[in-house]
Amino acid sequence: MTQALSDRRVLIVEDESLVAMLLETILEDMGCTPVGPASTVDEGLEMATGAESLDAALLDVNVSGRLVFPVADALKARGVPFVFSTGYGEGGLPEEWRGQATIQKPFTEAAVRDALMKAMGIEQA
Amino acid sequence: MKQLAKSGDLAVDLAGAFDASPNPYVLLTPDLRIAGANQAYLDVTNSTRDAIIGQPLFAAFDSGPGDEAPQNVRQVQASLEKARDTRQRDHLALVRFSIPRATPAGEPVLEERYWSATHTPILNAEGEVIWLLQHTTDITELERLRQSTAATHGAASSTALDAMIGGNVLERARIVQEDNLRLASERNRLVDMFMQSPGFVAVLSGPTHVFQFYNEAYRRLTGHRDLEGLATAQALPEVVDQGFIDLLDSVFETGEPVHGQASLVKLQRSPGEAPEDAYVDFVYQPIRDVDGRIVGVFVQGHDVTDVVKAAERQKLMIDELNHRVKNTLATVQSIAMQTARSHPDPRTFAESFQARLMALSHTHDLLTRSHWEGADLGAVLAHETEAHGPHRMTLVGPPVALDPAAALSFGMIIHELATNAAKYGALSAPEGRVLVDWAVSDQLNPVLTLTWREVGGPPATPPERKGFGSRLIERNVRHDLAGEVKLDYASSGFSAEISAPLDRGRRS
Repeated sequence: MTQALSDRRVLIVEDESLVAMLLETILEDMGCTPVGPASTVDEGLEMATGAESLDAALLDVNVSGRLVFPVADALKARGVPFVFSTGYGEGGLPEEWRGQATIQKPFTEAAVRDALMKAMGIEQA
Repeated sequence: MKQLAKSGDLAVDLAGAFDASPNPYVLLTPDLRIAGANQAYLDVTNSTRDAIIGQPLFAAFDSGPGDEAPQNVRQVQASLEKARDTRQRDHLALVRFSIPRATPAGEPVLEERYWSATHTPILNAEGEVIWLLQHTTDITELERLRQSTAATHGAASSTALDAMIGGNVLERARIVQEDNLRLASERNRLVDMFMQSPGFVAVLSGPTHVFQFYNEAYRRLTGHRDLEGLATAQALPEVVDQGFIDLLDSVFETGEPVHGQASLVKLQRSPGEAPEDAYVDFVYQPIRDVDGRIVGVFVQGHDVTDVVKAAERQKLMIDELNHRVKNTLATVQSIAMQTARSHPDPRTFAESFQARLMALSHTHDLLTRSHWEGADLGAVLAHETEAHGPHRMTLVGPPVALDPAAALSFGMIIHELATNAAKYGALSAPEGRVLVDWAVSDQLNPVLTLTWREVGGPPATPPERKGFGSRLIERNVRHDLAGEVKLDYASSGFSAEISAPLDRGRRS
């Protein structure tokens, strides 16, 4: 099951380094290659629209007080699946993004894996 | 009499008729000065034209020194003012008012007399009051007769005299007059209560909802505008497109009251300014005349803007608190996971994990003291190194205000530096010390430079493998603070140099 995600390049947008380090560790354990992490929306946009090849992304909704949605738009335009991470709960997402794969802080490895697979459309075993 | 004189011969006739009338008349200016009086008036009041023309009415006649005199004067004055202000005739059925009279010996005395009076406003072409005409009838003799028969036969008895003077007509007049007085004072009390009510009150009349009356709270709500006599749409143009006129219309048409709770209304509260949001609880109720027809709308309610804003703030704060708690839990989760990876032994794991948790908690304490506004760098340093003995730490630098996120980052960084110094560096040797100094350069784009220098300890050696501690320092400085860090393992001792912009504005 975990092999489904191995060698995938996953962008991380997250303003707190400790949380970013946690996500990196979880991704590495699943065999993924973390890209970033970007600590601001601008940095995230640069990485999302740059030459970097990306298979998926994990986006913190509130990045240093700014909402991450411009990065989400850029990824959507590029066809890169992504997962929101948030401390606000389901209600924290605007109408437009309801139904998008989401993980709640604090997160388990299983929650991160399931959300990524849902976003990428990978059938779960 | 200017008005009368204008119409030529007819005016002369009218003036002549006025003077010849057996009914006493006095003509007053709107400020209650005597402008003219006919002979009958001069006769009943024992005065002359010269003595009274141009005088204020109550200087010429003050009802004498009796206990009730001021009350009597007030009654007459109120009736005159009412006639003037409402431009409607007003009646005083019975009023006691003393007037001077000379005794046969020529001595002046005050004689108590009873009067019935009618006050009529006289308007010009523009509808303004230019004169007030007082028509008085001296009914003293009738009143005296009534009093004396009441004393002889008892108040309830019906006498031939009563029948003769119109079947208790004077008694009825007196009762009506007293009722009027009582109603007027009750009305004034009610008006006072409305005026001082903490809630807003307004009375609107007619299909265009014309302001007849509104209290101080209503004035405050609507920005102290002059509303009286104006239709609501004209008085408060900004509410027209907000549906309030439609609501008033529906109350006026259907008679069904309308309630609103915490309704948003945008009101211009200072001239020339943009409309402000206000929230109101209100009720519109129909006002009906004696026949049950709807003639107006009674508006009352409370300005609940403060309550609504406080609830909004509270919701924002709870959302923000939840966000912070969840982020902090994710941070703790990360610390636990990373610490576990470098400490296979549960005992050393627990020790390291707890120490990191306490470092985080200490910075939280500092931030709580400032209501999460921020913390001073020196205070963060002192807090995180306290356990190692203040005499072994030298902290030199100016006050530097850190935002909450930067304070939390520095807290973690300094904890890791101090832990490292206690394990392997200067604080592991009895004479070792740590010198920390910092400065802020370039006030326009302030950059903080902090140097952590260990002396008197064993020579430093670079670690074979980068542990969580040094990764945490480097990541925090680069990622969270957008700064630079240089770790130097010199033989004279370990040192770290950190520089970070202060106006990065994590919340921008």
